[in-house]
Amino acid sequence: MPEPYKRSRTLRRLQVKVPGGRTALHYKKRKPGKAKCSKCSAILKGVPRERPFKMVNLPKTKKRPERPYGGNLCSKCTRSLIIEKSRS
Amino acid sequence: MIEIGRLCIKIAGRDAGLKCVIVDILDNKFVLIDGQTRRRKCNILHLEPLKEVIKIKKNASHEDIKKEFKKLNLKARDTKPKQKTDRPRKQRKTSKQLRDQKTEKKKEKVISKKKEKPEGKKEESLEEKASLSEKDKKEKSKKPVKGKTENKNK
Repeated sequence: MPEPYKRSRTLRRLQVKVPGGRTALHYKKRKPGKAKCSKCSAILKGVPRERPFKMVNLPKTKKRPERPYGGNLCSKCTRSLIIEKSRS
Repeated sequence: MIEIGRLCIKIAGRDAGLKCVIVDILDNKFVLIDGQTRRRKCNILHLEPLKEVIKIKKNASHEDIKKEFKKLNLKARDTKPKQKTDRPRKQRKTSKQLRDQKTEKKKEKVISKKKEKPEGKKEESLEEKASLSEKDKKEKSKKPVKGKTENKNK
């Protein structure tokens, strides 16, 4: 029997092909949830879904779109926000 | 609303939220813009027109637009053109240089061979020294050394 923490489904299971030829079960931590728009809670595009140790190694420009409010608001919400500001 | 000289705000892209002026109308979809943004082609749908209109000519230069923007207390985009720097490139060696290289390599080989020979001599001399020392030992104390030499002969 595997250890209790491996029996629960909190960890992701990976079938990995080992250099010896057999396939082994590896356990990994799951990825965090997808980034969402803070206004309309739509899923943000161009924001990678990785564990923090991988996000640290990514360049800043690959972590969010290069536009004002990029990575926080979706493109539709930024447009409406800018238009509102210009009209007021 | 879309005409030459109309002040706009860019809504989309990395220049979003910046003010610009329509410089040229290229199409029923696209216009040329300049100002706080980069001077570029732009879709009309990505612009939010404002009330003000500036008097500029069609295809006005960036410097003219800078002056007009100063009157409105706006700062037009300044780009620093990159200074041209020579990229380090490998130059092909001429036939003369190649020949020189070969001769130098040959010289090096000869020198290395010469170096090896004296080392060999040294080893021999060391052995000789050892044998000499053994002889000395024989002279000094005959019994134990004799046994050693006999083993060697076997």
